Amino acid sequence: MPSDLDKQIEQLKRCEPISETQVKELCIKAREILVEEGNVQYVDAPVTICGDIHGQFFDLLELFKVGRFCPDANYLFMGDFVDRGFYSVETFLLLLAFKVRYPDRITLIRGNHESRQITQVYGFYDECQRKYGSANVWRYCCEVFDYLALAAVVDGRVFCVHGGLSPNVETVDQIRAIDRKQEVPHDGAMCDLLWSDPDDIKGWGLSPRGAGFLFGSDIVKSFSHTNRIDLIARAHQLAMEGYKLMFDRMIVTVWSAPNYCYRCGNVASILELDENLQQEYKVFQHAPTDTRSIPAKRPPPQYFL
Amino acid sequence: MAEDLYPIAILIDELKSEDVALRLNAIRRLSTIALALGPSRARDDLIPFLQESLDDEDEVLLALADELGKNFEDYLGGREYAHLLLGPLENLAAVEETLVRDKATESISKIVAVLTPDQTEQYAVPLLRKLSTGEWFTSRISSASLYAPIYPRASEASKEEIRRLYAAIAQDDTPMVRRAAAKHLGEFAKKLSKEHVLSDALAIYIRLSIDEQDSVRLLTVEDLIAIAEQMAPHQVKEHLLGSIRQTYQDKSWRVRYMVANTFVKLAEAVGPDIVRDELVAAYVMLLKDNEAEVRTAGAGQIPGFAKLIPPETILSRLLPYQSQHVRAALGGQITGLAPLLGKEATIEHLLPLFLHLLKDEFPDVRLNIISKLEQVNNVIGIDLLSQSLLPAIVDLAEDKQWRVRQAIIEYIPLLATQLGVSFFDEQLGSLCMSWLGDNVYSIREAATVNLKRLTDVFGPEWANNTIVPKVLQMGSHPNYLYRMTTVFAITTIAPSLSPEVIQGAVLQTVLTLVDDPIPNIRFNVAKSLEVLAATLLESGPMGQEVIQRTIVPVVETLKEDTDADVRYFASRALEHTLGLETIGR
Repeated sequence: MPSDLDKQIEQLKRCEPISETQVKELCIKAREILVEEGNVQYVDAPVTICGDIHGQFFDLLELFKVGRFCPDANYLFMGDFVDRGFYSVETFLLLLAFKVRYPDRITLIRGNHESRQITQVYGFYDECQRKYGSANVWRYCCEVFDYLALAAVVDGRVFCVHGGLSPNVETVDQIRAIDRKQEVPHDGAMCDLLWSDPDDIKGWGLSPRGAGFLFGSDIVKSFSHTNRIDLIARAHQLAMEGYKLMFDRMIVTVWSAPNYCYRCGNVASILELDENLQQEYKVFQHAPTDTRSIPAKRPPPQYFL
Repeated sequence: MAEDLYPIAILIDELKSEDVALRLNAIRRLSTIALALGPSRARDDLIPFLQESLDDEDEVLLALADELGKNFEDYLGGREYAHLLLGPLENLAAVEETLVRDKATESISKIVAVLTPDQTEQYAVPLLRKLSTGEWFTSRISSASLYAPIYPRASEASKEEIRRLYAAIAQDDTPMVRRAAAKHLGEFAKKLSKEHVLSDALAIYIRLSIDEQDSVRLLTVEDLIAIAEQMAPHQVKEHLLGSIRQTYQDKSWRVRYMVANTFVKLAEAVGPDIVRDELVAAYVMLLKDNEAEVRTAGAGQIPGFAKLIPPETILSRLLPYQSQHVRAALGGQITGLAPLLGKEATIEHLLPLFLHLLKDEFPDVRLNIISKLEQVNNVIGIDLLSQSLLPAIVDLAEDKQWRVRQAIIEYIPLLATQLGVSFFDEQLGSLCMSWLGDNVYSIREAATVNLKRLTDVFGPEWANNTIVPKVLQMGSHPNYLYRMTTVFAITTIAPSLSPEVIQGAVLQTVLTLVDDPIPNIRFNVAKSLEVLAATLLESGPMGQEVIQRTIVPVVETLKEDTDADVRYFASRALEHTLGLETIGR
């Protein structure tokens, strides 16, 4: 059984999608593992924390080349695996295959793009249709999305979430009470965790995104104090330098999609927390353009007809 | 019989259907309909019907234009009726949609090829005349592509008229028509006799090449090349020099881009004298162009152009350039000059340039040079190269770009063979060790592979004294990712080490990591022990004993680890270790 999965991992590392049947099996196994995880997953240090990937498969390989491949290094991905890039299918399936093969070595939490509604607009749905000729793969993946954890805590000290905080959440334990196995709602705690952004304001503010909230340093301070957190790590916003520390280094945005959308010109980063929770940010650039970071114009592949 | 015709009736109904998909389907099976109708009815009924029913969706018209070009005359009774197809195609060549027109002219060209001289005179030449003088500009555009196929088949009298017609469309009021004339002038000129090139094509070209629209002028660059190819060098000089000058100095960068992009072809067409007197200077101008696109296109032509000019000229004229774009492109191409220049000139002129480019502020330039140094080796010999490059290499070993560092690392073993042990240790030894602690994993990995290759060059004794202590030292690094480098390096180098060394310090170090608090280290220890066991096994009974006494018990412990991945890799190692050992007995 593991050897089949090992083969699939090798195949996905070459950016070749696996068959629809294999996707179905992989997603079923992934759900069995994810259903056992809490809304807030405990993670042990050392671990490497990563932000948005957005289907930029060759840049994900670049990330692993800098940070070392799974399972040798432990990883925590903070959501937004899919949409916008050209290889959402391969990106998400590779991460999911790692999760199934090495459940203790990699943690995946949910981003606002891991949603049926968003993926139908921003590319993942269309990519599945194009690569598999039907929406089945998209449906299997969306079912997995519903099982992804909403947040993680590393060694009890570093709180990791895709977007940010919520006015409905004062303690980490309140997150544990959410029924997460559903499509991302339009409001409420679950929505806010995936959509909110920190901002230079006092208290809470309306988010220009139309979902989630803006929150200021006082909110971060009181949340960290209440929950005895040293650092909040989140993703969700492009950081041109790869990461951005705010509010006296109490919160950091980690962004892992270099040259976002193949045109923003930004660098990306990963945050390595060693066994003593020492932070090291590793900045990296997009994959050299002579690899297939952007597909050449060619007829859509007829993979499994 | 009625039953046989039934499907045909359906197809004909479909041709008249309201549904586009059905009409399209029927057009795609037009040959079946024609075959069923027989040649006579196909000529008398089908062709007129098609000619009348032209008011359709572009998609259907496109399919029709395509079908009529697929030897459709076979269904009309053979080549003698081929001209009948020109009717509907002429109409198609006049429609608004470019795709349809292009397909129609493509099909007309195919049909023209099978016409007799009589048919050509009677049908093809009048068609060309009608299209060329058509009221609506679309038909005049279509006409441009038909000159080259029809002209060689026409009578002398008609040829003269055809040349006049081309001159007329080249002066059309509509820029789109002039653009079409510019686009097809080259292929038309190739069909003309040499004197008509001089008397007709040249004048047409010259007029188009000074068109007020740059979209017309940029298309004349290919015409210039085609016409120059038809002329003797002295004629080029006499008639085209002015045009050549004007085109590479055009005020529109799109025109200059076309020149830069086809520069080698142009140089080949005009002959060596003009290249020397004119084009080298022109090329240097293009390399210094204000527009990056022009410069990059020009730089891409370096290897081809370099073959056409003497080495001295390359050095004195082409090499001093400024733009980083050009340098990046040149960086990739310039090493290709070494074989052309030969050893002496490479040492004298290229080498300083390489050293200069290796310090370029633009990482792509540095990377492009390093990754192609191999070519230079072959010309001047690694000995000389390594000595002159050493300082640059030491600099680049700490380059900000990890891919530059990686390129350097891959070059190291080759250098090692040339430098010899003592010189190597002195100059590069500590560098090779420092890469083991690089903050990019790929560099740490490349560093370990490099150490293995160095061990193969300098021998296990050297490795034991130089590498092993440094590698083992990393085993106490506070960060697990760096401790793992020790395990990984040991695993990689072990097959090149002597069994004594493995049994000694190496095995001891690995064993201290068995109790590492981080599971990732422990399962890599299990993997490493698997490799060490395999190496020890080959060393005979002593090795087997070490496996039994030391390795197996340790792996047994790991098999009971609290972490699932450690247990998995330990049982795998155990299976393999025991498996090998059984074979050994």
